[in-house]
Amino acid sequence: MLSYILRRLAFTIPTLLLVAIAVFTLVRLIPGDPVQLMLGDAADPAQVTEMRRALGLEEPLPVQFALWLGKVAVGDLGKSISNGLPVLPLMIERFQVSGLIVLLAVFFAALIAVPAGLLAAWRQNQPLDLAIVAGATMLLSIPTFWLGLLLLLLFGLKLGWLPVVGYVPFSENFGQALLYIVLPIVTLTMVEIGVMTRMSRAAAIDVLRLDYVTHARAKGLPERRVLMRHVLPNAFAPTWTLIGLILGHLLGGIAVLETVFTLPGLGRLLVDSIFARDYPVVQGCLLFTALIYVLVNLVVDLCYPLFDPRVQAE
Amino acid sequence: MPRRHALVAGIALGLTLAGLSPVDAQTGTIRLRLKNDIRSTDPGTNRDGGTDGVVQHMVEGLVAFREDTSVGPLLAERYDVSEDGKTYTFTLRPDIRFHNGAPLTAGDVVWSWRRYLDTATQWRCLPEFTGGLVKVDSIVARDDRTVVFTFDRPSALILATMARVDCGGSAITHRDSVGPDGKWRDPIGTGPFKMGEWRRGQYIELVRFDQYASRSEPRDGYTGAKKVMVDKARFLVIPDAAAAKAALVSGASDIDHDIEPEDFAELKARPSLKFETTTTMSMSTIIFQTRDKVMQDVRIRRALALALDTHEITDAVTAGTAKANNSVIPVSSPYYTKVQAAGYTRDLAAARKLLADAGYNGQPIKMLANKRFKSSFDVAVLAQAAAQQIGLKIDVEVLDWATQLDRYTKGDYQVQSFPYSARLDPALSYEMVTGPKATQPRKVWDNPEVEAILRQSMQIADRDKRQALFDTLHKRQIEELPLIMIYNEVQIAAMRKTLDGYKGWPTGQPRLWGVTLN
Amino acid sequence: MKLRGNTLVGGTLIGIVLLTAAVAAVWTPYNPLQVNLRARLKPPSDLYWLGTDEFGRDVLSRIMAGAGTSVLVALLTVTFAVVVGVILGVVAGYVRGWTDRILMAINDALLAFPGILLALGVMVVVGANKYGIVLALGLAYAPSVVRVVRGTVLSVREREYVEASRMIGNGEIYSMVRHVMPNCIAPIAVLSTSMFGWVLLSESALSFLGLGVPPPAPTWGNMLAASRPYMETATWLGIAPGLCIAFTLLGINLLGDSLRDRLDPRMAHA
Repeated sequence: MLSYILRRLAFTIPTLLLVAIAVFTLVRLIPGDPVQLMLGDAADPAQVTEMRRALGLEEPLPVQFALWLGKVAVGDLGKSISNGLPVLPLMIERFQVSGLIVLLAVFFAALIAVPAGLLAAWRQNQPLDLAIVAGATMLLSIPTFWLGLLLLLLFGLKLGWLPVVGYVPFSENFGQALLYIVLPIVTLTMVEIGVMTRMSRAAAIDVLRLDYVTHARAKGLPERRVLMRHVLPNAFAPTWTLIGLILGHLLGGIAVLETVFTLPGLGRLLVDSIFARDYPVVQGCLLFTALIYVLVNLVVDLCYPLFDPRVQAE
Repeated sequence: MPRRHALVAGIALGLTLAGLSPVDAQTGTIRLRLKNDIRSTDPGTNRDGGTDGVVQHMVEGLVAFREDTSVGPLLAERYDVSEDGKTYTFTLRPDIRFHNGAPLTAGDVVWSWRRYLDTATQWRCLPEFTGGLVKVDSIVARDDRTVVFTFDRPSALILATMARVDCGGSAITHRDSVGPDGKWRDPIGTGPFKMGEWRRGQYIELVRFDQYASRSEPRDGYTGAKKVMVDKARFLVIPDAAAAKAALVSGASDIDHDIEPEDFAELKARPSLKFETTTTMSMSTIIFQTRDKVMQDVRIRRALALALDTHEITDAVTAGTAKANNSVIPVSSPYYTKVQAAGYTRDLAAARKLLADAGYNGQPIKMLANKRFKSSFDVAVLAQAAAQQIGLKIDVEVLDWATQLDRYTKGDYQVQSFPYSARLDPALSYEMVTGPKATQPRKVWDNPEVEAILRQSMQIADRDKRQALFDTLHKRQIEELPLIMIYNEVQIAAMRKTLDGYKGWPTGQPRLWGVTLN
Repeated sequence: MKLRGNTLVGGTLIGIVLLTAAVAAVWTPYNPLQVNLRARLKPPSDLYWLGTDEFGRDVLSRIMAGAGTSVLVALLTVTFAVVVGVILGVVAGYVRGWTDRILMAINDALLAFPGILLALGVMVVVGANKYGIVLALGLAYAPSVVRVVRGTVLSVREREYVEASRMIGNGEIYSMVRHVMPNCIAPIAVLSTSMFGWVLLSESALSFLGLGVPPPAPTWGNMLAASRPYMETATWLGIAPGLCIAFTLLGINLLGDSLRDRLDPRMAHA
């Protein structure tokens, strides 16, 4: 087991290297330039060159890449062009916000979606099923920014129960922090329920057809027991893969949510940095999310046998 | 009204001085919305418009723009210009202190300017003072209160350039603003606010500077009296317009000095809010690449100009707040006269004829726009619709701002819906668009004769002579059509009714002095 | 058979969408691009059944014109993602070993890549048009398909009947096509119908963040994104495209389910 983990970890290195090369190239292929943005409509060509030189952007690309990679290897991700801050602490600070929201939202979503999917599958093609499918589809067709804004207007403005902008770290004031983070989590949970319900419903339908379920029923086991003992664990397996995907993907895709709720998270940092062509931050963020993603999926794969006893972790 | 004003202000001030305000920890802090986090606190270097607005609350230069966009003394008590226009002598006001308590001396001015003129500082306006506009020959402290600048040639724009907001107002800072390693730390300036806490991505908070030496004249642009009537000013970073709107309505922020026109109608219905509109000098334009094989034909450019109803477009894009203006000279400029008011009038028949004469046969023209500055996108859509009526086919391509700016800087486009930032002197406005494309591809108007006229307007100081030159420039701009100027942006500030004394001005930058919270 | 009902409802919904797209190709009540500054943000009336937008363009006409573009973009994207994803996923899951490792390394790298950077990059190469979006979103979604398919393959290939098939001497490719593929259909059907929704919406998310299809040409996604500032004052602007997306999705889902049930061999005797 341990050697498996070590092997898997070793294999993350090529993935990360691939990400590093791809990001480095792509971010420089996109037209636009951090110095131009700083100087705006008054950019004097000589001044642009001078400032780019000072930032090390005038070196040939392979040289820049080698320099950057060399520093990354010793844990130095460089400094932001936008505001001169070191990238690593900046990212870690922002990640705390995004990571917490994503983790909690996915957890709550799974808590609701997996039983809902099971229920729908159990009553397949009956009114309950149709209602659950329709509900999930509705949730799927609402954009995050729309739902987020709706909740913000309702609970923040109309009812005045929750603050509309800002963020307080948990380390500072637990109760306050909770108030600021409730709406984003609810929004994200609702969005994710849509996908997960459909996935777990499909998986449960599959399992319900398998022979051993028929056997279990034939043995006279009560329906509840059949569902809980035989269907749920097996139906959960594909959903579990999906959870890994969602967790990894959300970190990149959470920018919209963070924009709506004015949260200083990693997603917004990334999007802002892409728009600002802040190369060191974009590179750092992507490498970081890639690492998180790879780790999450390692955990997912390691846990897979727990839900699907037929698969052994090699 | 003014008396009540003063009374309220007096009470507020009295209360805060007496330290009776802890109950009102909220009302002691004014909260203004920023669209993006600031980039740094180093004036005129790593900056953007929002950064300038915050930093100018903490630092001040020798001179500054007044409300009417003329230049007046700020840290200087007065300045004297020599006969040949090459030597400027500034006398500092007495009793000015930095935030660390140190008195301001001529030596600080010399130190600050040496830092700006060092390439390592990467001062945005360095090119202007190393030959672009003039070259600084020397800066000498004659005594503690007198500084003498000598330049290689005279120019009408020296003070206006020093005062430029994007140059950081050439602010004078204390040398301890910089660490022993030469790196910028925090601004130790002379402004009415000093640096408080900066939580990246969330807010930057400034604290009132109690020893601030205010000028005695009334508030006037970035100069005049700067009386701070709040304890703290907090600039909240709220990128999303809808969230900012919610923050304002719910009272989580006190003022948004630049709301989107499309939100205006909705917010007007809120009883807790009031508004202030100001015409700024930013320009909303359609620029042409005159080297493009289609757009080089002035008849096609004119056809588009004649197809547009600039008044109607302006009205639609700015929710009826702005006035159409076809001149590069801003409507709020003292140089904007009847001459500048003459622009294009819609004439579809003439436009169609021009297209036919030019032999245009339906080839699509690509117009670049962005959504970072929403007016750019709106203008593009409306221009596209107008062009359709005369059979001119325009495809709008929406890019992210950095990409559009890159295409602009490289001159790589046919047509763009482009927002220009504010320039406070007509010569600077023209300078922004005029120049040789060979060395500066971003320039849209490449005509040596025009450049010569412009250079003249930069050197002479006589108002009437300058007006005559600007009139010529305007007529030629309408004639040669390197761009279609559409309107000068209007800034709509929305604030809670509890806030008093806020006023916008042509730079579009917010000022939180002279403002009270009840 | 109850299944029929779902198929019927799904088919009807999708039929309406396709019909609308077809009609819009030849006729819409107004020109969907016609700006009318004197009729901006008009609520629904007998002149404009679904009201007008911030440029005075008829919302109904734009919804109709947008049907074709939106569905086409979504369809192309999902097809691209599924075809590429299934092939790579089955190969990776079945062959295992080095091929699997290399494929998964690339796949994970792609997955970890945020869609927005990918979109920016792809659109620079292909141009900011609908094919740029298809390619960008397709590339962004294919890796998810790869992962899900590979997961299913890993779990199925150990089952007795696959083992048995191998044991009686059937070739690897035969076993793969005969036994593994059918088992992937359920998760793929679900994933691809979900993706269909994501594509319709990602477009509006891209617009929200400042990118997207050249906007004067209407799509449901960019109509939805553009309606956000008017959420309170002109609610109809968002409701119309939102409902269109919802009903299209519902239709696709119902159809997807019945399609799956038809293709799934184990359903034959159910």
